[in-house]
Amino acid sequence: MEHFLNMGGYARYVWPSYALALLAVVLNIYWARRSLRDAQSQARRRIERAGQSDAIKKGAP
Amino acid sequence: MNWVWFHRFGSPPHFYRLATGMTPWFAWAAALLCIAGVIGGLGLAPADYRQGDGFRIIYVHAPSAWLSMMVYVVMASSAAVGLIWRMSVSHAIAASCAIIGASFTAVALGTGMLWGRPMWGTYWEWDPRLTSELLLLFLYLGYLGLRSAIDDTGRADRASAVLAIVGVVNVPIIHYSVIWWNSLHQAPSVMKFDKPDIPASMLVPLLMMLAGFTALFFALLLIRARGEVLRRERNARWAADALNVAAGKV
Repeated sequence: MEHFLNMGGYARYVWPSYALALLAVVLNIYWARRSLRDAQSQARRRIERAGQSDAIKKGAP
Repeated sequence: MNWVWFHRFGSPPHFYRLATGMTPWFAWAAALLCIAGVIGGLGLAPADYRQGDGFRIIYVHAPSAWLSMMVYVVMASSAAVGLIWRMSVSHAIAASCAIIGASFTAVALGTGMLWGRPMWGTYWEWDPRLTSELLLLFLYLGYLGLRSAIDDTGRADRASAVLAIVGVVNVPIIHYSVIWWNSLHQAPSVMKFDKPDIPASMLVPLLMMLAGFTALFFALLLIRARGEVLRRERNARWAADALNVAAGKV
């Protein structure tokens, strides 16, 4: 295990590289999902507002 | 030639549905390929006879560098399609690419620096390959900056499309930089037409990582593009269906 973690003396270059790549993957997944969620809730609000103004025009209570 | 698929692809509700259905396939493929690739690359592949275990950086560096260029080509070509055929779905796809491309360009540069330090003795050199890759990062950042500077989505789409299309010249420059000029960076060892230079136990994990990162990109792109399509949508009817909102019944 220690041998593996040592990476033949290159540990200080190999592990930060993998950590950087993992960070980018995790951040991208989080950002993409957040971006979709934001767009969905904006669209939902827009639709609900449009629905309300339709109801007002029709003279509904 | 039957163009029905093209028109259907350009229809926002159809695209939204298709993207929703396809995302899990790409996401699972990406997860399985990347896990297998990392196990193969860190555990099973033998150490390189010159670079020892340091060469294992290739399993994150090369896929990131591949994505940095492929994502740009996807971004520029869908921006071009959006500009020529005024397809909002296409603009939505282009707009979704930039942040993904920028982050993997940063990873390619960062892991390249971490690899360059032990092998070349320096983190950075103003070498053709490194400089053109840095320019790619600036192109992505310029694209994002331009988009965020323009409030109107339609105008932002058209202006940023022009930037994306002009910048695509940089992609072949990056790829051929190691062949055209004297570069510190090694020449391609996998992406060439004759037989690759490395043994199967090293090559297979690398191909898995390349495929895994590509699948990850498409999963991320489909998630983001759905959001971008919704943002561009003014006709609420299909969006209400897609979001399960009963419009008018609030």
